[in-house]
Formats: sequence, C-alpha cells, structure tokens
Amino acid sequence: MGKKKIVSLAFLMLLLLSTALYGCSGGDSESGGEGGDSDSGDEKVLIFGRGGDSVSLDPISVTDGESFKVTKNIFDTLINFGEQDTEIEAGLASDWQAADDGLTYTFQLQEGVTFHDGTDFNAEAVVANFDRWAAGDADQFPYYKSMFGGFGDEEEHVIESVEATGDYEVVIKLKRPQAPFLKNLAMSPFGIASPTAFEEAGESFGDNPVGTGPFQFVEWKRNDTVTIEKFDDYWVDGEPKLDQVVFRAIPDNSARLNALLSGEIDLADGITPSDSETIENEENLQLFERPSMNVGYLGLTTTREPFDDPKVRQAMNHAIDRQAIVDSFFEGRAEVAKNPMPPVISGYNDSIEGYEYDPEKAKELLAEAGLEDGFTMELWAMPVPRPYMPDGQKVAEAIQSDLGEVGITAEIVSYEWATYLEKAAAGEADAFLLGWTGDNGDADNFLYVLLDQDNIGSNNYTYYENQELHDLLIEAQTEVDEDARNELYMQAQEIIHEDAPWVPLAHSTPLLAGGTNVIDFKAHPTGSDKLASVDLE
Amino acid sequence: MAETAADKQEMQKVAGPWKEAWRGFRKSKVAVVGMGIVIFFILLAIFGPLFTPQGINEQNLSQRLLAPSADHWMGTDDFGRDILSRVVYGARISLWVGFLAVIGSVIIGSILGILAGYYGRWVDTIISRLFDIMLAFPSILLAIAVVSVLGPSLRNALIAIAIINVPNFGRLIRSKVLSIKEDEYIMSAKAIGMKDNRILVSHILPNSMAPVIVQGTLAIATAIIEAAALGFLGLGAQAPSPEWGKMLADSRSYLTNAPWTMIFPGVAIMLTVLGFNLMGDGLRDALDPRMKS
Repeated sequence: MGKKKIVSLAFLMLLLLSTALYGCSGGDSESGGEGGDSDSGDEKVLIFGRGGDSVSLDPISVTDGESFKVTKNIFDTLINFGEQDTEIEAGLASDWQAADDGLTYTFQLQEGVTFHDGTDFNAEAVVANFDRWAAGDADQFPYYKSMFGGFGDEEEHVIESVEATGDYEVVIKLKRPQAPFLKNLAMSPFGIASPTAFEEAGESFGDNPVGTGPFQFVEWKRNDTVTIEKFDDYWVDGEPKLDQVVFRAIPDNSARLNALLSGEIDLADGITPSDSETIENEENLQLFERPSMNVGYLGLTTTREPFDDPKVRQAMNHAIDRQAIVDSFFEGRAEVAKNPMPPVISGYNDSIEGYEYDPEKAKELLAEAGLEDGFTMELWAMPVPRPYMPDGQKVAEAIQSDLGEVGITAEIVSYEWATYLEKAAAGEADAFLLGWTGDNGDADNFLYVLLDQDNIGSNNYTYYENQELHDLLIEAQTEVDEDARNELYMQAQEIIHEDAPWVPLAHSTPLLAGGTNVIDFKAHPTGSDKLASVDLE
Repeated sequence: MAETAADKQEMQKVAGPWKEAWRGFRKSKVAVVGMGIVIFFILLAIFGPLFTPQGINEQNLSQRLLAPSADHWMGTDDFGRDILSRVVYGARISLWVGFLAVIGSVIIGSILGILAGYYGRWVDTIISRLFDIMLAFPSILLAIAVVSVLGPSLRNALIAIAIINVPNFGRLIRSKVLSIKEDEYIMSAKAIGMKDNRILVSHILPNSMAPVIVQGTLAIATAIIEAAALGFLGLGAQAPSPEWGKMLADSRSYLTNAPWTMIFPGVAIMLTVLGFNLMGDGLRDALDPRMKS
C-alpha cells in the first residue's frame, strides 16, 4: 500500500516537474539573450551580488534586509540617516520642527521633486502614504505596527493624524510622545511611494515599485536579479552616478566569491570571514567592513513545549558554547552576545553577566524542569547567509553537537528563505536561528520590535510575552529624557535576560568586497546601502 | 575405488554453472582487483568503526581544519572532527544504501517483470508503459522528485533510489522471461498441469537471475553515486551524518584552504564505485554465455 502511494505521488510530482521544467527552459534562453545586451555601450553598470532575493519591493510590506537593499535606492524617506551612522539628516523633508510636548511635528518638504511616474511629490502625496499605511493591518504592513504601535483607530496606534497644511508642509500629530519618532521615519520601510502608482497597482505594487529615489525600477527576475536604472530627474544634483544597478542573488557564499574573483559581479555582500584573506591578497579587490549593528540569535518559541518553561530556555543558554561558535564560524569577526542588542546602541546594559557555557548547569536546570532524560526538538537553520550569521547551517551543526552533550536531540531543519520566515513568524519552529540588523540605531528597534508582546505575529517570532517588559518598553518610547530612557532599557534587558526567550549568539561585523574600481561605496550599518554617490572607474 | 575417483573428476569437469562462472571471473585480473576493493570496503564498513580513532560526531572546534598528520591521518573538518573516522563510518552508510536500494529494486522489478513477461497482454502493456515513462526521466531528477514528496532523509533517499532503479530490472527480467517461457521445459511443466505460480517461482525466476546479478552489481555503484548526489544536494543524509556526499557538500567552501576535507570523501566514493564497476564487468563476462570464447 505504502509503496503504491509513493509511486503515485511520485508520478504526480513528475507531471508537475515536467511542466516546471518546460517553463524553466523558456526563461533560460531569454536571460541568455539579455545578458549580452547589458554590457554593451559605455553604460556604468554595477552588479551587486548578494545572498538572497528580495521578498517584495514594496518596502512597507516587508522587514527583511534583502528587500530594503533594493528599495533604499528606489524610494526616499522624509528623513535620512548619516552616510555611515544613524544620525538624522534632511531627506524629502528639508526641515522640521517638533513642539515642546513632543506631540506635534511640522515638516517642510523639498520642492521640485517628482516620482518616477512623472507625478509631483508634495504634501498630499505624503498624507496619502500615511493614510495607506494606517489603513493596513499587521499582515500587510508588519513594520508599521512594530514602529507605530498599530493601525487606524486602535489605541496603541501612536500617530493621531497626518495633515497637509500647505503644498509643501505636513503636520503629524501623535497621541503620545515617541522618542525615536524621527529615526523611525528615516527607516527604509517608510519610503514615500507614488500615490498614483500604488492606488493603481494595489496588491501588486511590490512588483512594480515607484518612488522618488535615485534609481527607477526596471525588472525583477525572481530568485535571480533585480535591475534598477538611473532616474534622470533625480532631485539631488549630480546623482546618481551609475547608469544601472543589478542586484544578483547568489546564495552560495563560495559561488559569490568566485563570481567576484572572475569579475562577473562588481560588489559582493556576505563575504565569509574565512575568505577575507583571499580578498586582501587580491590586488584588484578591496574589502569593506560594515559597521556592526546587529544580533544573531537562536529564538526559542515560548508557546511550544518544552520552551514554555524558562528553566529549559536558560538551560539552552548554558548548553551552547558561543565563544567557540564565534571563533569558528565568524573567524573572530564578531563579538559574543549577551543581550538582544549590540553595545553600540545607547541603553546597552553591560552589567548583565551573560550565561556561561556550562553543560553541567544546563543539565541541572533540565532536571529541575523535569527533563532529566533530555528531549527531542527541531532546530531551524536559515538556508541563506545573513549579515548577522555568515553560515547558519554550520552554526546549527555546532549547536546540535552542544545540545547533544546535555541530552537534547536536535534535528536540523531548513526551508526556502521566504517560507522559513513565514513559518517561523507563525510560531511553527521549536527553535530557530535568526538575527536582526538595526534599522534606525535605537534600542526600541531591537527590544520593542523583536521581543514585545505587541509584535507577536510580526517580528516577535518567539511569541514571548511579559507585561512588565511591555510596560517598560512603552514607557521608554514616550520618555524624552535620554538618561531616564536608557535606564528603562537597562531594566528591560535584565528581564529579558532572566526570561531567556533567546540564546543571543553574536554581534558580527559583516564583510563586503568589491573591485578596486568601485568608488565611494560606503557600507551602512543598517545593511541598506544607498548607491546614489557610488561610481565605477 | 578407481571408478569413484574418476566419477569425481568427471563431476568437477562439468561443475555447476556457478563454479564455471567463478573460473571465468578469476581469469580477468581487473575484475579480481575490483572485487578486492569491494571486499575491502565491506570489511571497512563492518569492522572499521570499531577501530576509528575518534567518535564520528565528536566536535572539537579548537582543532578545526587541521591538515593530515600522525594524529589525524586524513586531517580534521571545519568542526574539528576526525575525517578518517567519518570516511570509515561513511562506508557503512554508502554500502548499506547501495545494497538495500538495489535489493529493493530487484524485488519489485522482478515481480513486475515476471508478471509482465509471463502473462503478457494488458498486464504487459500497463507495466511496460510504466517503465517507459519512468525511464524517460533522467534518473537523478526522478530521485529528487521522489525525495521532495517524501521529505529529505537518508531513508527516503534510499527509497527514491530503489524506485528509480525498478524499471531497469523490470525490463531485464521481462525480456528474459519472454524467452524462457517458450522453452520446452516450461511447456512440459504446463502440460503436466503445474500451476502458474509454481512455474514462476521454481522455474522461471531462478533461470532469469544471472543477468540480474550482473546488473545488480553495476547498479550498486550507481546507487552509491546517487545517494552521494542526493546527500550533496541536502536531500539525502542529514547533518551530522558522515555520508560521503554530505561531507563533500559541507567542505566545498574550504576547497582552497583545506582541500583534504574534500579529497578523502571524494576518493572514497570514487574507489567504491570503481570497485563495483570493475567487478560488475567481470561478472558480465563470466556469466554471459555469448562472451565465452
């Protein structure tokens, strides 16, 4: 019976496969033809190799870095970050004033800016964008919920109203003060899109994005390339310098390095630390360090047994030898993590003692939780290299072996990247490797976004809930005094340390490499690099 | 006394077909070398793990990527595991998969082939067309399809490999049965009223086995490669299993800085497959009456 079932299933697959294969063959010949075209002429085409494809090009609908890497160059935000830090600078808003109570912000907008579709950028367009976001839900716009608390009339929604008070003046009123409000506005997800375009496209806006950025969208071949080209009417004089940028997904680290060595790509993200020597020895290549602002961690889904017991979660923390993992799979280009946010963020609590590597202690804790004989679990490892973890599979194997020492049997599981995120967000994993690169350099962007109960279903993949923590984090959001605010975050980290919803692993210094002909490339700590001022020799 | 001795000699001369085949086999030096390799790996698989210097999954991150030395004859991999121990244990996995998968496909293939060949008509049409469809696909692709339905694991890789080899054996046996069933001894068995299933089991099956043995030996070689390929693609054995293909996949990013992590599992695959192929060729020469000079 079983065999028959298998055979019939296999045939079903065969039918599907044959259809799929037929489709593939057509695609291949097409791309072959195109490859020849793109090199012709004196156009400056930068090919940027990276570890994964974008999930969507509508920045508000995603939270992943590979999507922002592209949308950062298609969309502008009201406020910009500094070149290589998260200080705020003028963006589409040339100036702004905050009222003393921290509840009203008035923005003066840049004049003479047009969207890629030719429509004008003005106060109405900004209002339309905020209206669109506020009318969504956590599924559609997860990051909006994370940063502004909720949608529409919901009580947690921070933004009360957004109004155009002139052609080029917008007033945003808040229900309660939000300390990182301006930084939040500078984040990639809040890129201003063309209202005409998103109204027309609806759900499919992510396949055909229209913004005011230095580059306009040309084409997206899923799991292969995203092509964007120079927008001639870009509002900043002399930018962009490149004619075209092609983001190419090459998931395999060594294949990407080889592509760089052979000159197939000009710039490569996600360089494995062990390959840095190869690049330094290569005359035509240069190494770029991305300022570190991330955390790689093992999330423990607190709604799943046995991780609903804090003792088991603490045991996991004691069982894993992070130092060895950092030494081996980050080649030392990382710092062992003890808190959910990196030390560069203000409010970091350095007085917390990280969980020591102590298998005996872990066994004791397991015994206290009634699991002397250990247990069996799934250990999820991401399928693609991430800036916060160059090789998830290897890290998973090391963890698997560490867990084996204390009697926990872990089976390593992996899915295609988009599926992985989706399933982990749905709470289907026992324990999962993941990480986070800060998007605005604020503690709120780590602690609240990743671990607050408000964000269950969006970025809080562990389903960790703690009312005390929630109160602290909300208080910190509204606290405008810097010192008092930092104090609140320090307390928050203590609670998180005690409850241990994560095993924080490392804060890495991600590496990139490019040809020496790539000029003025500045790696941004958020992982989204603006390529407007980059040039090719 | 003298008579019995002479009888014995006579017996030896017309020794059974197996003995005769062995004599033929021995003549080919290459085949004997092949068999030597195979026996070596079988012994390695059975007894090797008892003597390995280190546990196969014993990680020691402070000793990662060490070059071959007196302590670690084949060096260590990126987890500081002893490669020699893993390669030796990997022999067990690969041979196990090779043998079991082939046995599985021989059994299913024989049943289907005999049914098709003996009963003919619509039974034959259905089974033969089924084989045609399966053979129309590149076998590794078919294996990937099967594994993606069942989920990636060593056991499922084994099932997939067994499935993709079924039509090869099925066809072989079907054609053999077609020729045997016209033979006179089958006719006479039928004439004396022997039941179909007895004829199938006691006459047709044993008489169609010789080509299956040859094909089987060669198929083990392919099965080992296929298992390694599935392991390499992440569809076969899962971490931390020391399956050879998986070992290759895990070490390919160290190709330039630590080549020994790839070389030894690669050589192991190559040698085993070579051994089975040489032995299979020798068997074919020995068992195929047409090859006799």
